[in-house]
Amino acid sequence: MTTAMAELEDGLGTLAGTGNLLRFQLRRSRLYLFGWLAGLAGGTWVTALSFPDLYPDAAGREAYAVTVNTPAMRSMTGPVEYIEAYGASTGAMFAHQMILWTGALTAVMFILLMVRLTRADEETSRSEVFRSNPIGRRADLAAALLLAGIAAVALGALMALSVAALPGGQGGSAILFGLAHTAIAAVFAGVAAVTAQLASFASSANGLAFAVLGWSAFTAGIGSAQENWAVWLSPIGWSQLTFVYTPEQRWWPVVLSGAVAVVAVWLAFALVTHRDFGQGMMAARQGRPEAKAGLDSATALTFRLVKGMFWAGVITMLLLGAAYGSVLGGADDMLEGLSETERAVLNRGGASIEENITATFAALNGLFASLFGLLVVGRARKEEIQGRGELIAAAAVSRSGWPGSYLPAALWTSTAAAAAAGLFLGLAGSSSLNDWSYFGTGLWASLLQLPAVWALTAFGFAAFAWLPRLGWLRWLAWVWLFVVLYFADLLNLPEWAQAVSPFHHLAAYPAADVDWRAALLVTLAAAALAAAGYAGAKRRDLNFS
Amino acid sequence: MNAVIRTEGLVKRFGHVTALDRLDLEVSQGETHGFLGPNGAGKSTTIRVLLGMLRSDEGRAELFGADPWKDAATLHKRLAYVPGDVALWPGLTGGETIDLLGRLRGGIDKAKRDELLERFDLDPRKKGRSYSKGNRQKVALVAAFAADVDLLLLDEPTSGLDPLMGAVFNECVKEASAAGRTVLLSSHIMSEVEALCERVSIIRKGVIVETGTLAEMRHFSRSRLRATLKSPVRGLGDNEGVHDLKTDGLDIECSVDTAALDDVLAQLAVAGVAGLTCEPPSLEAIFLRFYGDELAASGVPNGEQS
Repeated sequence: MTTAMAELEDGLGTLAGTGNLLRFQLRRSRLYLFGWLAGLAGGTWVTALSFPDLYPDAAGREAYAVTVNTPAMRSMTGPVEYIEAYGASTGAMFAHQMILWTGALTAVMFILLMVRLTRADEETSRSEVFRSNPIGRRADLAAALLLAGIAAVALGALMALSVAALPGGQGGSAILFGLAHTAIAAVFAGVAAVTAQLASFASSANGLAFAVLGWSAFTAGIGSAQENWAVWLSPIGWSQLTFVYTPEQRWWPVVLSGAVAVVAVWLAFALVTHRDFGQGMMAARQGRPEAKAGLDSATALTFRLVKGMFWAGVITMLLLGAAYGSVLGGADDMLEGLSETERAVLNRGGASIEENITATFAALNGLFASLFGLLVVGRARKEEIQGRGELIAAAAVSRSGWPGSYLPAALWTSTAAAAAAGLFLGLAGSSSLNDWSYFGTGLWASLLQLPAVWALTAFGFAAFAWLPRLGWLRWLAWVWLFVVLYFADLLNLPEWAQAVSPFHHLAAYPAADVDWRAALLVTLAAAALAAAGYAGAKRRDLNFS
Repeated sequence: MNAVIRTEGLVKRFGHVTALDRLDLEVSQGETHGFLGPNGAGKSTTIRVLLGMLRSDEGRAELFGADPWKDAATLHKRLAYVPGDVALWPGLTGGETIDLLGRLRGGIDKAKRDELLERFDLDPRKKGRSYSKGNRQKVALVAAFAADVDLLLLDEPTSGLDPLMGAVFNECVKEASAAGRTVLLSSHIMSEVEALCERVSIIRKGVIVETGTLAEMRHFSRSRLRATLKSPVRGLGDNEGVHDLKTDGLDIECSVDTAALDDVLAQLAVAGVAGLTCEPPSLEAIFLRFYGDELAASGVPNGEQS
């Protein structure tokens, strides 16, 4: 009896100070929470508002259901049970297309939140300050989990509210939709709480948790595509399996998520007292004591540092290209379901809808691939601000090596990303059109956008070289090109405002013939911007922290 | 003598702030030169101009007789640099970083590198993100001392090192100096500079206020003198070379200009000396004399001696 009491007291002792910590963490995280909650719920709300207008009648929705009912499209949306309810319920169509993505974003939000509140603080020795106060060993994990719990409930409530006006619900559909997100939040908060105990760094804790998220998205996609049990392996899949807004709607899969979350939380609490402060359960992997022979120049270092960004770009764009390609087969049907706006954007003067849509996809491929080039340029600035570049700049490296090598790295990244998108646009397009002659068209259309990709990337580098403090300039340029591509006709933009965009000058192949002169001129413009960038890099002070 | 580093009237402004205000600095070949000044006096800015990272607004800077802004990459082959706050790449190990920095200078002496890793007690297999502050400094120090260069630019290199490693550092600087290397050691650790440097420049608000050998500086400064006399001495306070005189019976204590030591000792000898200590001014005392204003503003009464 007495030992049981002592154990209980000991157990509570490890939680001492949780309340105070919770208040402190809540205060620190309010911006993060506000941004994510507003973004997720706001985005859902806006989409939910537009849905009934986009697809007003059952016939239109049923036509669209045919387009969506392919393995490729199901893998990017959800189970077939929703598609069968498209005609009956706008809500089912909405939930089908949303949950995989809002669910994945919810997972990202809660993984980052948990790791931020636990491991990241240990690394910066911020939480050492708390630990020296009368605070129990489990208190910061408890505070972080309580905070995540509050955020998960708030997210569920907001998600429910944002779909409240959606037609086609069964009893309590909106509440179940919210609950489905709370369930995903709970599972991934638990998963991240566990990985935070296992990994030796915040970055590896994030990595492990994101691997679980990748697994979830993958199994949900596979399961939906092949209509099999694989969906049951995915925490995101469990929320999809509620079949919310369909006649088959059910609540119990959420209980499964809850049970898994409870087990994960229990595991995290068990692990937290079995490891040392600032250490993970898994020992940090020893690295190589000597550098590989290839790591012998500033350029080699730059390419190594942006490797993660490079693969992120290639894989993202490969998926995007595949997504674009897979809808081509049903393009005719899809056109029926499109709004006036989208149809205007798609008309590039081509003979067929496939040609028009390919030209647009190719330009979008180029624009999104450029994002990764601009992100690489951003890395150069980060190396400067955080002072890491100083050791390189003090070595026998010219300005064209540091920071200059970030331009070839950025060009290489955006080019590879665009090529990957083109390759998979061609592959998925041929497969969905059942016509292999499309492969070359899709790939070639995307590659023809490369001069514009280079121009935008080189502009980003030139902006970094001349006006390092104005980092937003390259994003502003990107957003402007996006506006020109999407809304130029709609907004009646004057010609000069459109002429700023390099994408505007390249011919809309295959909707139009290739314009070699324009391609050459845009390439020359890119070269001029690159030269200006190098000149700026030679000219300016390097401001290390 | 050949000047390895020479600046004349160097001016560097950041917006409205003048970081360097006509700075004249000269470091001769083979010399270990102390560069003293508090935070924000302009030490790092000077070194970054010398490294060609910052472009001066006025005046001249020369490294090995060439312009560090124009010929940065070529000049950097002949020098190694250790910043005061080393930032490492989180995903690269210490060993990889050291090798990379060595190769950027055209190759690294592997035996020397391994010997230095041993001496600085540094594990080269750890990733950059897991090194402590002191260990990050060690990575840059090993890379710098392993390099076969003519000049070492060290900007507060020992911040975060424990005293044991401080001693290893001192040894390494002495060896570098013995091998004929020129060293510019920026620091605010006086004992380090006193132990290593032949000549010293003191910087204040972007200007060199004093430069010379430690012996010269002592000569122009004051010694601290304490004596127990056999009989009272007269007229000591009238001597212009005597400052802050305190008399407590037969015990006296005062600061004496080096030039006046002769006279003062003669006067004391007349009175008869039972005990005498005379300390040359420490570098710290010399240094603090130039910062009398700042010290007064911070509420420290006397810059000369406490």
